[in-house]
Amino acid sequence: MKKKNMLEYLLALLISVVLAMAVGALIMLATGHDPLEGYVLMFQGAFATQRALGNTLAKAATLCLTGLATAVAAQAGIFNVGGEGQLYLGAMASAVLGAKLAGMSPWIAVPLCLLAAMAAGGLYAWIPGVLKVKMKVDEVITTILLNTAAIYFCSYLANGPLKTMERGISSGTDSVDPAFMFDKLIRRSNLTESLFLTIIITVFIWYLMKKSTTGFQMKLTGQNGRFARYSGIKSDRLALLSMVISGAICGLVGMFEVFGLHKRFIVTVSNEFYFDGMLVAMIARYNPVGIILMSLFFGAMKIGGAAMELNAEIPSTLVVIIQSIIIFFMAAEGGVTTLLKERISRRRTAATLQKGDQA
Amino acid sequence: MSENIVSFRHVSMQFPGVLANDDVSFDIRKGEVFALVGENGAGKSTLMNILYGMNTPTGGQVIIKGKTVERFDPSQAIAMGVGMVHQHFMLVPSFTVAQNVTLGREPRKWGFVSDLKKANAIVDGLVEEYGLTVNTRDRVQDISVGLQQRVEILKTLHRGADILILDEPTAVLTPQETEELFSVIRRIVREKHMTIIIITHKLYEVMAISDRVGVMRSGKLVGVENTCDVNERILASMMVGRDVLLGELDRHDPEVMDNDVAVTLDHIQVTDDRGLPAIRDISLELHRGEILGIAGIEGNGQSQLIEAITAMRPLRGGDIRIGGVSIRKMTPGQVRALGVAHVPEERLKTGVSAPADVTDNLIAGREKEKRFSLFRTHMKRKAVRQYAEELFEQYDIRGAGVDVPVGSLSGGNMQKVVVAREFSFNTPVLMISQPTRGVDIGAMEAIHQFIIDKRNAGCAILLISADLDELFRLSDRLMTIYEGRITGEFTPSTIEKTEISYYMTGGSKEAQA
Repeated sequence: MKKKNMLEYLLALLISVVLAMAVGALIMLATGHDPLEGYVLMFQGAFATQRALGNTLAKAATLCLTGLATAVAAQAGIFNVGGEGQLYLGAMASAVLGAKLAGMSPWIAVPLCLLAAMAAGGLYAWIPGVLKVKMKVDEVITTILLNTAAIYFCSYLANGPLKTMERGISSGTDSVDPAFMFDKLIRRSNLTESLFLTIIITVFIWYLMKKSTTGFQMKLTGQNGRFARYSGIKSDRLALLSMVISGAICGLVGMFEVFGLHKRFIVTVSNEFYFDGMLVAMIARYNPVGIILMSLFFGAMKIGGAAMELNAEIPSTLVVIIQSIIIFFMAAEGGVTTLLKERISRRRTAATLQKGDQA
Repeated sequence: MSENIVSFRHVSMQFPGVLANDDVSFDIRKGEVFALVGENGAGKSTLMNILYGMNTPTGGQVIIKGKTVERFDPSQAIAMGVGMVHQHFMLVPSFTVAQNVTLGREPRKWGFVSDLKKANAIVDGLVEEYGLTVNTRDRVQDISVGLQQRVEILKTLHRGADILILDEPTAVLTPQETEELFSVIRRIVREKHMTIIIITHKLYEVMAISDRVGVMRSGKLVGVENTCDVNERILASMMVGRDVLLGELDRHDPEVMDNDVAVTLDHIQVTDDRGLPAIRDISLELHRGEILGIAGIEGNGQSQLIEAITAMRPLRGGDIRIGGVSIRKMTPGQVRALGVAHVPEERLKTGVSAPADVTDNLIAGREKEKRFSLFRTHMKRKAVRQYAEELFEQYDIRGAGVDVPVGSLSGGNMQKVVVAREFSFNTPVLMISQPTRGVDIGAMEAIHQFIIDKRNAGCAILLISADLDELFRLSDRLMTIYEGRITGEFTPSTIEKTEISYYMTGGSKEAQA
């Protein structure tokens, strides 16, 4: 994106956030709550304490990775809706390996677990990818279906053959060696060392999408596959590659959850994390920088929203409504700005024409 | 003197970054054929889209039959008697002619069931009245392009149009179909007092059909003349603002005289998208330093011919060798690596990525070259941009710069982007399809010279065009294609266009003898 466009886009996002929060305020007023108090609590809930800040950043990191996973596939023209399943398999693969390798040096074991998570997620994304490029099977359908398959398969493993013998654990796999776990960066928060990996991956994906020849080829493939093929680009292979990268990132997100928080695979390892990220990516129009910013915003809103519910007795459903409205306004941002732009340019030309007439 | 039926008063149209119409004022008289000519991007289509209500002008007024247009909307324009036939037809292929004509205004039975019988009768009546012969019961998918155009015209007549806008009506027609269209136009003007506005690039058509002609150049109206007072040369220079000398190409003996065979086609068979045979059996040899023109009516396998040679479409039989290497199992990328560049027939579908900017489109396919990338990985954006700007200059592409999406350029400039990219590969073999379709005279002249330069430098060029003039002008050798077979081979200097038409429509040497 060119610099000027980027600025315009950020401004438009800001306007839509403000508009959305205004509507949210009206709803709070209508239901007998003080909107100012609500928003202050939301802000405090997201940033006021170290712990809150840590949780916000952790949430943002997850959203950022899953959002980038959506974007990298979208760049090559594939809509990966299957990140949730890829995430589950990544979590499962790394959790099982993390338990099996207990006692080994973390410097060897953790990278192996990372690879396992990426392989599991990537391979699981490869299946709908191949179906798409070789047989023209719509990836939206296959990825949605494969989500269900993966989640129930993992659930079966965690409650059946791979269920832990540890006492007091009703469901889940054996816990991974504590030495492998990511340390917390902020005490009692969800923020762990995985943040560093998140940053590395984010920079890598940004570079891939915006600066590399591969990203360029992916873009052309996504925009006009026939043109890409005509230009000599191996568009099928690139589409597949982008899908595998997308799946590998999702697998990593699953691994971060296990090695950062849960110690083991549990059935609730993700709460639709991928779909939240997908939403972020779509609102940011698959732009990596936009995804980073949007993740921070939505991370704050998620964590702050929970605090608002606890402290202001604003019911959680209202928080969801406000969030939805904000998302709605942001999604409508594109349409709104073009509308405004057209208006302005029309008025301008009308004015110049009038001036011309007078002259 | 006949009255003015349409008047443009200081009409301006500002698009983001482009002033498409700049203070245009003129009148169109009732019962005349008015030709509107100009280069690509001169603003002809924009102006007609305003008349048809598709665009709202940013300034000025349009007066139709004495009434100033208040709201620009096609349904409003139709109500005022304006009809438009677009370059790309808007028909439902699986519907019959009558169904298409009455679409949206179907006669009804019992209030809600469409009455096909009545529709047929109405359309038969229209056919009779206006002499636009077409079988109203045929499905649109089964009839020729020329007949489909008649269906479009019938559609506007059914809606009560008496001002008919035809946007590049002959672009898709054979010479014979063009002649038929013109006789239809003459008849409905004479007998029905209709007003026809025809947008075109082809100046001899202006001379043949129009009463008056308006010339546009970069958004402005250059002048309106009585057709009988001007000639093609005058019009051409009005259009481009300078004298254009068509027909004087710098053709000399190619630098390579060894007459090497560059491409060999050996009994190839190719199917179309539906799996039906498109090329039944074609063998030919393309030599270095020659332009081999393929003449044929659209849909006779010429598109598939070039797609097969560039590996965009798989071979079903036979073999193609480029520089002695079989390309049977190759990808388009591998064929390019053998030294084949390709100007495809459909620029929007294949030739460009419309949302990508001009820069990206100009370097697509060479992003991994050393000058544009570090270790084939990191794109050197500065070098890329600089190179794009050079090509932009060199090929005289006109638009708001290299940063705008290619989709925002006019058709002719989009084509220049394609030509610039493909010719800059400097390959020994060029596959060129419809290089100047929808391109203005200035750009056409330039593209023709680029092609001849390539030939002079020893390139082997296969040229496919629906424009016979173009084929005659450029080709060293001509072949006619019909139903997936080559029906004849000629030297352009020794054959007449009418003769070629005969072979294009399935005639054969034996039958004629």
